[in-house]
Amino acid sequence: MTDQIKEQISALLDGELPADQLGLLVRRMERDEGLRRTFGRYALVGETLRAPNGPLASAGFACRVISALDGDPEKPKSAGRTTGSSAGSRRMRWLVGTGVAASVLMAAAMVMNPVNDSPAIVASAPVAVPSVVAVSPQPDLEPRFSGVSPTPEESQRMAGYLVAHSEFATPIGRRNVWSGVLADEPEMSLASYESIEAD
Amino acid sequence: MKRLVCLVAAGLLAAVSLPVLASQEEAREWLDRMTEALASSNYDGLFTHTTRHHAETMRIVHRVENGHSVERLVSLDGSGREIVRTREQVHCYLPDRRVVLVEPRTDLGALFTALPASGPETDSMYQMSVSEGRRVLGQPVRIVDVVPRDRFRYGYRLWIAEETAMPLRSVVIDGRGRPVEQTQFTKLEVLEHIPAKETEASVDATGFQWIRGSVAGGLRLALPEGLRSAKFPHGFHLVGVRQQAIPGSPLPVQHLIFSDGFVAVSVFIEHGHGRGPTPPGGLRVGSANAYTASAEGRVVTAVGEVPEATVRDIAAYLVKTQQSAPAATGK
Repeated sequence: MTDQIKEQISALLDGELPADQLGLLVRRMERDEGLRRTFGRYALVGETLRAPNGPLASAGFACRVISALDGDPEKPKSAGRTTGSSAGSRRMRWLVGTGVAASVLMAAAMVMNPVNDSPAIVASAPVAVPSVVAVSPQPDLEPRFSGVSPTPEESQRMAGYLVAHSEFATPIGRRNVWSGVLADEPEMSLASYESIEAD
Repeated sequence: MKRLVCLVAAGLLAAVSLPVLASQEEAREWLDRMTEALASSNYDGLFTHTTRHHAETMRIVHRVENGHSVERLVSLDGSGREIVRTREQVHCYLPDRRVVLVEPRTDLGALFTALPASGPETDSMYQMSVSEGRRVLGQPVRIVDVVPRDRFRYGYRLWIAEETAMPLRSVVIDGRGRPVEQTQFTKLEVLEHIPAKETEASVDATGFQWIRGSVAGGLRLALPEGLRSAKFPHGFHLVGVRQQAIPGSPLPVQHLIFSDGFVAVSVFIEHGHGRGPTPPGGLRVGSANAYTASAEGRVVTAVGEVPEATVRDIAAYLVKTQQSAPAATGK
């Protein structure tokens, strides 16, 4: 994969890719699995950095990472020092730097308490509810996801259920359900609840 | 004097509540415009779909053909899976399994996906508001918040383009205010015309196994004997029942559709002692949750874009009902 292609992916994620290059890149991505995976990685890094209230790295941190990658840890690069570089190489360096930075931050987030990455809305105050009530009052159990993927037969069958269900979803709900079906397997994970109320 | 105090209090209450009601109504209008734009526009876009543990890039192409929508969603990462929804069918291509799942398209979903009607019941489930947002993809947007009032449904935040009413970004939020799932367009073009070939599958399905589902009879709206809607999570009502063959399931299943007017939950009841699509317990696919329980020779699986508690409660109650009246819903 050439640097030019990587720059195009980066530009696409920035919304800066010219229209005449977009179609070509999309067709190439549909054919090239490696390119699709690269795009996914870049998108994940971007999403991580854009997450509301998500982990933020200071500009200095990114510069130190880039400097370390350049093998010059003692002299962090300032914006001025990169003046002579092409825009493309700056973009690549930013991508690599932020990618590493994001990885470090994500690892840190897993060790420490998770940050509150919520958009600032939560369930609103309850109002008077008509007489209907939920099935037996149960604690709001948080499922424990085992991280184990279902068997191929189970996930194929579940895909059939989800596609059948999507016919009754809102347009956005349908898109979300379909996206879940199309996503790679790790997303489909089994959960076990603390109790099963079948009796 | 007492009457004057009451009048002043009523005036103050109206002054406080009118802006809220106005915002709620405006939010409803924006959701209505968005739904119409999604159904009637020709568009081609790239978006990232992010959950708590995964991000994937998708391409969506939607075009309107003689008043009917045709759309194609393809994963640009990894698996290369894609879904094509034509006028008659939904094809789910799983090249990694060399399988194509085929489900008949019914368009009955439109009956149940209307926006929540105004009224005390809807207001007891969701609170909606709209505010001005920053630009997304260079376009001014309105932010619509749909906030649940209990733990049985998710909240939504939508960034809707002012000019096209297309949702440029959306976040599904759980009861603790945490994002469950996000989609954000990195490119979205609303076009006058999109060639038909753009909504055709790019997967070469030669040699794939085609697994077809079917629907027997129409959708019945009657409540099956033995099921009492008042026992389901607040706001969810049974809105339809049908028998259908599900791709991948060995026997026809009974498909029950519940809705709170905004989101739907499907319940699949399989007869026999076979296993369900998951071992007993839950499964999460993006923001959709599934819960399977079994009893008395029936396997009950609830699926929906709702929290775990909702699918668990619905499935558990149906299993309980099946145990107490095993013959009630089997026909």
